[in-house]
Order: sequence, then C-alpha cells, then structure tokens
Amino acid sequence: MSQHSPSRERRLGVLATAGKCSGPALAALGLLGAAAIALSPAAGRSTLTWWILSSALAPERVLPLVGLGVALALAGRRYSLGALALFGGGLAVGFFSKDWLLSALQAIPRATSHHFLTGPISSVTVGVALVLPGARVRSWFLLIAAVVAGSMLAVAIEVTDPSLHDVAIPLAGVVIGFWIIAAISLTARAFRRAWFPIPARILGSWLIAIGLLYGGASLIPKQRPAFPPSAEPTPNIVPVPGPNPLPPFLEPPQDRVGPGIPYENPAGLQQP
Amino acid sequence: MLPDSAAAHITSTGSGGFGSGFAHPLTGPDHFLAMFAVGLWGAQMGGRTVWTLPVTFPLIMVAGGAAGMFGLPLPGVEFGIALSVLALGLAITFAWHPAEWMALCLIAVFAICHGYAHGAELPLAADPADYIIGFVLATGLIHVLGIGVGLGLGKPLGGRLARGLGVLIGLGGIYFLVPAFSVA
Repeated sequence: MSQHSPSRERRLGVLATAGKCSGPALAALGLLGAAAIALSPAAGRSTLTWWILSSALAPERVLPLVGLGVALALAGRRYSLGALALFGGGLAVGFFSKDWLLSALQAIPRATSHHFLTGPISSVTVGVALVLPGARVRSWFLLIAAVVAGSMLAVAIEVTDPSLHDVAIPLAGVVIGFWIIAAISLTARAFRRAWFPIPARILGSWLIAIGLLYGGASLIPKQRPAFPPSAEPTPNIVPVPGPNPLPPFLEPPQDRVGPGIPYENPAGLQQP
Repeated sequence: MLPDSAAAHITSTGSGGFGSGFAHPLTGPDHFLAMFAVGLWGAQMGGRTVWTLPVTFPLIMVAGGAAGMFGLPLPGVEFGIALSVLALGLAITFAWHPAEWMALCLIAVFAICHGYAHGAELPLAADPADYIIGFVLATGLIHVLGIGVGLGLGKPLGGRLARGLGVLIGLGGIYFLVPAFSVA
C-alpha cells in the first residue's frame, strides 16, 4: 500500500494539473483557430469560415455564452453538468422546433432584422442567472437559462445560415458554442477565488443591460442622422449660357424626339 | 473660457459599432469620472456595496436608455451628469457611508441621466448591437477599475489617498457643472 501511494499521488497530481490547464488550453486552441481564420486572405474564405467570423463569433452571440460559462463555474458540479446537458437539450429543441419558435417570435416588430431577438433574450436570461441573490435560486435559474440560451443559439444559427443545407454550418455553431462555455467554465473553475461572485454579478448586470438596450434599440426603426446645417456658404450655381458641351450624336434621344420634331421610324413601328 | 465637455455628451450624428461604443465612455471625461467614482465609492463603503452599486448602475441605466431611445423628454440631463460627478466626488471626499438603499437611490438617479445620454444616440447607431455591447463593457470596466483602485487605496494612509481622488473628481464635477448649468 505504502509502495503504491507515491505513484498514485503523482498520478493524482498530474490529473489535477491537467484539469487545471484544460480550460486555458482549450481557450488557447480555439483562439488560435479563430485567429488563423481571421488572418487568412479574405478571397480564399469559404462560406463556413465567413459565417464563423461574421455570425458564430459575433459579440451578441459570444457574450451570453461567456456569461453561461461563468455561471456554470460558480454553480455546484451537479448543477453545472445538468445545465450543460440542458444547454444541449435547448439546442436540440431549437433545431427541431425551429418553425414553432420562429412563429412564436415573429410577432416581435422587425423580427428578421435582429434575428428574432435571439441575442437579447439569451443575454437577459443568462444575466439574471448571474445576478439573482442566493446560490440555490441562482443554480435553479441556471438550468432554465441554459435551455433558453441553447434554443436561442440554435434559432440564431438557423436564421443566419447562408447555405440553408450545409450541415457543417450548424455543426460548427454547436461546437463553437460548447467550446466557449467549456473554455470559460473550466478556466474560471480552475482559478476560482472567493471574490469571483462579485465580478460575476457585475457581468450579469452588463448582460441584462446589453440585452434590454439592444432589444429596445432593435425594435425602434432607425432614424436618419440629423446633420447640422453646413457652416459653409452654398456656392452660387448659375447656369452659364453657352453652347451645349455635348455633341449632337451624344444627346439623349428624348431631347431630340418630341413634339414638333419628326421621328424617323425605319421599322414602321408606332410610338407608344 | 468655459469647458463644453459635458454639453457635448449627446451627439446628433450617427455612431458606429463596437469601437465607437467602447470609446464613448472612455473619451467622455464626465462619464468616465462618474463611472470610476461609482466603483471607488462602493469599494470605500465596503461590504455588499462593493458590488451592489456597480450592478445597480447599468440596470437602472437601461431605464434612462429606453427613455432616450423612445425620445421621451428629460430636461436637465447634462446638468444631472455633471452633478453626478460632483456628488460622487463629495461622497468619496467625506467618506460618506449612507444606508445602502440611500446610496442605491442616488446612484439610480444618476444612472438614468447617463443612460438617457447613451439611449438618445442608439437609434442613430450604424450597428446598435455592437455599439451597446461596446459602451456597456467600457462602462463596466471603468466600474471595475474604480473598485480596484478603491480597494487598493482603502487602507494606505487611512484611506486619505482615496479621499484625495474624491477631491479631484469633485473638482471635475464643478468643471462640468458650470457650462451644464448655463445650458440648463
């Protein structure tokens, strides 16, 4: 027993170190991949890489997932695993009940211009899961937030998919979603400190504010900017009398064909 | 010569995306000082207020933002923004420790003024989503900076360094208040 304990302790130490490094390693790997796509020449980008940069990694899509990752790190292991499973379940609900969800969300004004408010709904729900007082209430609400975030992500993937049939796009969206949550959650869990709930609550309040303001701004029709009158005096534009700069053969035909001007019609067609 | 920084808070032209939203609180000294002071004051009071003030601010800011977006009239916004800098500076200078609800009410009034200024710009923004994300993140980061500085300066010299910063913030408030008063 005593002979095995040092090797067992060493093995446990290695496992603990691996567990601690898994989050940052996952984050670094994903960031390297995203950087490689972003730095690739724009001309050589496929539809998939273009979609990843413009939609899957858009701030409105990433922020709620970051918040969900932080919430998972703060919750107990049982609730975290449950929330992760429910996030997957939410994704499935979103993909398979897309038509039902879209018909429910289409009553929102200008729905198509803001992807059916999927970003704001996710942000507000995840934000509430971070801000709520009491660890128990927060943990229970996290389960609801995970389902909502998953289903909203699925709807957002479906409505932004430019290919409409390429399986790689929803698959990439799901992988990126799980990657963001896992990288944030594992990193925060590995380096957890007693003061973590403070920045987590602040992050939650930002997510709620972002969701409500973005949702509100999306519902209002965009106004034209009211530019102040120019301080520069308007130059006097007076038509200068003189010969027409255009030679006759370049003049528009409607100028030449008019009342009193004979129109030669070799084909014998009637004018409209 | 009077400054016009506070009066320049609400702009009439359209804004851009994430970059201009993020830069807005950082480049507006009145907004920056108020956000910084919220974090600093919360840290100076200690306890729950370390996080309740910075959490309450953006949540109430939404109400002001909505009023600005829908074009509801709110007179004296620039005056309120300038007053927020002065009041928060004074609170830090005198290490005022009111009841939590009182501090939250004060913060809420100021948050409505700051939110209104941002909300009035939002319908003009080229990309409202990115603009909002930018300015909320920047606002929150200034709060966190204020908390960090407040916690760091809380103990050395009996908190006098933090109170000295409060004096500077209060002077900034007077600087913004003079033109804002003339505008109001």
